[in-house]
Amino acid sequence: MTQARAITLNALSLYAVALVLAAAYAAQFILHELPCPLCLLQRILFAALAVGPILNIRFGPRPSHYAISLLAAVAGAVASTRQVLLHILPGDAGYGSALLGYHYYTWALIGFIAAIVLLAAILLFDRQFEEDHAVLPATGGAFAQTAVWLVIALTAANVVTTLLECGFGACADNPVVYELLKHAS
Amino acid sequence: MEFTVLFLAIVIVMLIAWRGRRPLALGLFGALLIACIATYLHHATDTLKLSF
Repeated sequence: MTQARAITLNALSLYAVALVLAAAYAAQFILHELPCPLCLLQRILFAALAVGPILNIRFGPRPSHYAISLLAAVAGAVASTRQVLLHILPGDAGYGSALLGYHYYTWALIGFIAAIVLLAAILLFDRQFEEDHAVLPATGGAFAQTAVWLVIALTAANVVTTLLECGFGACADNPVVYELLKHAS
Repeated sequence: MEFTVLFLAIVIVMLIAWRGRRPLALGLFGALLIACIATYLHHATDTLKLSF
């Protein structure tokens, strides 16, 4: 795999992270399901997955960049596994609504495990780490730059919506209203 | 509040990874991951209701 192809794959992975963050927003705003503390932590760790690809696009592919995404994926898998176990008891309806038969935290666990497998798979291709003297577009070209700014914008939007939801105190275990909007009205 | 701070921190790490110095981005990412794990451990105090 050439460096250029690896950078394209890294840009695609950023679009995948953006899709996950957008899907979480769809549940929040269309279905009016506010994310619980563990759900927010899983969102943060999905966003953390994006730091490795951003570094790969800016500085070129390096094993250490993949390693930090791998660490974020493992932490995300641990957090989502805990939430799956919290609702594993027979008769437990789970938190929030289900999508195609699985709750969001189950999809999150599947997503984090898929990320671990894909990161391990891409690390198999050694040629991406060798200098191939190909003339690469600065910072990955428009396709990659759009992916980077999309992920940054969605994460920045989460700063605002999380502040609105949780306010300046601890986030509710089962949030049903935006704390800051409640005080404003 | 801690989740807002964590989201803000990840935005800063992303911006530094994109525009700043690589060692700084890696170091801040490490600090962020430790903060995420600490937040997880803080919230993981509920008893797990396992079915076995």
